[in-house]
Amino acid sequence: MKPSPSAAAQAFADVIAAAKASVVQIHTGGRGIGAGVIWRSDAARSEIITNAHVVAGAARRNGAGLRVVTADNCIIPARVLAGDPQLDLALLGIDMGGLPAAKIGDSTRLRVGELVFAIGNPWGQASVVTSGIISGLDSMTMRGMGRTAPYIRSDVLLAPGNSGGPLLDATGAVIGINAMIFGGDLSVAIPSHIVAEWIAGGNWL
Amino acid sequence: MDANMLNALSNQMADAVERIAKSLVMVNGRPRQPATGIAYAGDFVLTADHVLEREDNLTVQTHDNRVLGAQIVGRDASTDLAVLRVQGLSVPVAAAAAEARVGQIALAVGRPSPDGVMASLGIVSKIGGPVRMGRSSATLERYIQTDATPYPGFSGGALVDATGAAFGLLTTGFGRGAAIVIPMDVALKVAGTLTKQGYVKRGYLGIVSQQVKLSPAQRSDAQEYGLLVVRVEENSPAEKGGLLIGDILLAIEGQPINDADDLIAALQGDRVGKPVAVRVSRGGVAQTLTVVVGQKS
Repeated sequence: MKPSPSAAAQAFADVIAAAKASVVQIHTGGRGIGAGVIWRSDAARSEIITNAHVVAGAARRNGAGLRVVTADNCIIPARVLAGDPQLDLALLGIDMGGLPAAKIGDSTRLRVGELVFAIGNPWGQASVVTSGIISGLDSMTMRGMGRTAPYIRSDVLLAPGNSGGPLLDATGAVIGINAMIFGGDLSVAIPSHIVAEWIAGGNWL
Repeated sequence: MDANMLNALSNQMADAVERIAKSLVMVNGRPRQPATGIAYAGDFVLTADHVLEREDNLTVQTHDNRVLGAQIVGRDASTDLAVLRVQGLSVPVAAAAAEARVGQIALAVGRPSPDGVMASLGIVSKIGGPVRMGRSSATLERYIQTDATPYPGFSGGALVDATGAAFGLLTTGFGRGAAIVIPMDVALKVAGTLTKQGYVKRGYLGIVSQQVKLSPAQRSDAQEYGLLVVRVEENSPAEKGGLLIGDILLAIEGQPINDADDLIAALQGDRVGKPVAVRVSRGGVAQTLTVVVGQKS
């Protein structure tokens, strides 16, 4: 099959439309909003992953004012189940089930040059999609876990409001959680396998 | 099937990065941020001139983490190109892409650290040229602009197509942090000259001139403009050849000279050190002088 630009564009639109359903806005009662990813969901509850810095203010108020807004605009109160400021990850719980959990990709096998895209709320604009490639795979010390792990660097344009949102591969699977945003053209995401390890090893409230 | 196609595109871009990555070396030639170089033939590496802040103790680091000493074979500040020789380099040389077209997918790839290559995505934004480089007499016959991000240390790196073949060498050395890509064929031409003689020969006459419209009497054929000589440098090739202030330069070796770019083009490379026929209009009368083209340092 010879790829044509219009077919690629259509494929892009389809993958993004499917992935958007698993991305939420995080409102903290203060100014600005963050993004989050529906990590798992059963009949009654769902868990959402985001950055610890997104919910830091709300966590200090015992979660008062913390709300999640789903892709279909349901507004649900949320509580912080766990947080790790060093990894910059937080897990939120909501009492709403049956939500579309994100497809989680294998972030141990990434390659520089892979197509990626991000969904988030840059500068408070809801559900904005930006794209680019994996620019580099850098080994950084993950202080919270006492070992090193690769961080994903990308040239995807991100802004405050993308924090906690997903970095997705060409199939729409989550390969990272956007964390540090250096402004403009170099963004850093926490690989999804690190997120999964952190969730698996946590002591939930 | 649609998602597969997107995945195939993604894999192809990663393959492209992997392919060029083996030909890219990290170049240690300045105190802080290392830069990149492209292996293009045998032991030779093409890099940006401005990233070589010293001439000794240069090293490169290959994709398989070998650190090797490098010597400058030649360098040319005006095109911002330099050729290094690296004994025992033994890495695959970069493939050259077909001529770039505006809109093509392009990846900027560099090796700014020992951690592996970095890449950014964009398209071929513009193909321009010929352009004079700064105030020098060097011209770049063609250049490429891209919207792919040039990360720190990408100078000397490659802009590649979706197969990993190099459109050209990327540099931010021409100011304002903007990336300019010197097309591979243009860069290799300069590299050829640099490996032969260590520098690029650029001819000069030693005149200051300005463009003037020719009167019907001075005009021949379709030529509309000439260059009025307003100054002749002392002991210059022009003075020795008998050029005078007030002469209007019309042609060199039969090539019409309409503007300064024509003059520069007429003085390139192999004409240096050789006598050329310079046709001028002096007091309304055309005459031909012989000038030996000088070497500009």
